[in-house]
Amino acid sequence: MEALAFLGVLLLAVVGTPLFIIMGLAALVAFGFSDVESSAVAVEIYRISSAPTLLTIPLFTFAGYMMAESGSPKRLLRLAEAALGWLPGGVAIVSLVICAFFTAFTGASGVTIIALGGLLYPILKNEGYSEKFSLGLITTSGSLGLLFPPSLPIILYGLVAKVDIDKLFLAGVIPGILLIVILSAWSVYNGQAGNVRKQFDMAELIAAFKGSFFEALLPVGVLVGIYGGFTTASEAAAFTAFYILIIECFVYKDLHLTKDIPRVILDSMSLVGGILLILCCALGLTNFLVDEEIPMQILEFMRKFLTNKYSFLLFLNIFLLIVGAMMDIFSAIIVVVPLITPIAEDFGVHPIHLAIIFLTNLEIGYITPPVGINLFISSFRFKKPVTELYRASFPYLILLLVALAIITYVPALSLWMTE
Amino acid sequence: MKAILKGIDELIEKLSSWGLVFCVFGMLSISVLSIVLRWFSTSIHWSEPFVRHMVFMSTFLGGVLATGRGTHIGIDIIGKWLESKGKSDVSIWIQRVIALASFCTLVWLIVASKNFMVVELKYGKPVFWGIPSGYLVGIIPFGFGLIAYRFFWLFLGSFMGENILKEGH
Repeated sequence: MEALAFLGVLLLAVVGTPLFIIMGLAALVAFGFSDVESSAVAVEIYRISSAPTLLTIPLFTFAGYMMAESGSPKRLLRLAEAALGWLPGGVAIVSLVICAFFTAFTGASGVTIIALGGLLYPILKNEGYSEKFSLGLITTSGSLGLLFPPSLPIILYGLVAKVDIDKLFLAGVIPGILLIVILSAWSVYNGQAGNVRKQFDMAELIAAFKGSFFEALLPVGVLVGIYGGFTTASEAAAFTAFYILIIECFVYKDLHLTKDIPRVILDSMSLVGGILLILCCALGLTNFLVDEEIPMQILEFMRKFLTNKYSFLLFLNIFLLIVGAMMDIFSAIIVVVPLITPIAEDFGVHPIHLAIIFLTNLEIGYITPPVGINLFISSFRFKKPVTELYRASFPYLILLLVALAIITYVPALSLWMTE
Repeated sequence: MKAILKGIDELIEKLSSWGLVFCVFGMLSISVLSIVLRWFSTSIHWSEPFVRHMVFMSTFLGGVLATGRGTHIGIDIIGKWLESKGKSDVSIWIQRVIALASFCTLVWLIVASKNFMVVELKYGKPVFWGIPSGYLVGIIPFGFGLIAYRFFWLFLGSFMGENILKEGH
């Protein structure tokens, strides 16, 4: 009977039933079989309303969506182009940096490709980059900044794994830069091949900086606010959203307070609602699994094959790459993190290092065939067959895997700034 | 009959949208106000639980919108495969099964949360403004109720000529 119920839930999951329904149903069924009152599921759901960092999720997402809807991508692109465009492969590096910036604020929800793809693609093509290179670059960049603060996956990971979010924000900085540097080196190589080169123009840099002054200050403001001890992560989220609301509506006047902002609120909150509902409903199920000591049983089984930390990390990478290619990052964090953290701890992996490995894997999962979500978003955005995106993103996938190996086996990259 | 059912669905969408705009402006202004007041060594002691419950409410209202837009996150392996094969008839039936299963699960969740609410009304303590936790727990059955209706309408409407294959499906 239990196996039949499990199969039924699994079947509903693979046909595309919303994950929060699957989580809720699985929790109700599991509690039912264990003779626990079904109201225990509701108790777990209500528990989320006491999470102190809960506010950061809707407000940072709202802020990111406002920026994506405004003229901010154009202004920041101009600034990045003026600052870095003169380098060999400069325009491609600009694309990487600007996409990373936006992903950090929009949470790798596909908004980056939709908002910036249309701007960057013609620029890259005009600069002489091949279609394959340009498509691959934009597809990969769509999730590039999720190791940087204040990315939504980092906040969600901290919330689920009960790891200090402030420390996670710091831990992701160097690995995030490493990913950009490796992809930039690839862009420089391709840029040299195409003789793409521009002159540095100081006057244009100053003009571009003046034009995007209020937005360019933002990442610095968030970091100084949190790490200078001036604000908590929640307060930083409130200030960021308020600040962007003011500058986009009243300084740049790209968005209208009554015509545009309600639409942006609805777009961002339907995403936030979807994610938080999964989190609410998953809390019951994951707590049930932990109470039943499922992670410990998995650990005992794994101990037969994996003898040390390094073999565990290799297994973890393979497992998470598969998870990342099959599930979206938010559900993967909610479902997998509670199961994996006690096992990783037993193998001596630092919780913060584990977080960065986890998020890097899932970042790569966005472009891993067959179902990496960025591949489908790019396919939709640029009206290209998804198989073409597979080919275009392949070199980037290999490069990111190299970066992943470095991040996995050099823990200092993730831990240095937190210690 | 169809007009009434569709009208209720549209009303839910409209009320949820207004509710969300109110909640986001509410959580934003109260949070900023609390920070500013702190500079003057003053504080609003109820602001934190109030804002957290606004986020909690927004979770369900956002879910209501995601249901109407068909943008809930799911592992849609078979659905995507069927779409690529152009089998829209099968896809429609799968969406009907999903809508019905979601509705039934939500009814079960509403019952479970109602039971929890009854317990909290009896033993719970005031959280802010003297509101007992039992009423705040009521957000769960209320929110699930709104989402359940939308799934119910998705299922029923698909037999009345409404398109069930939306953006995210």
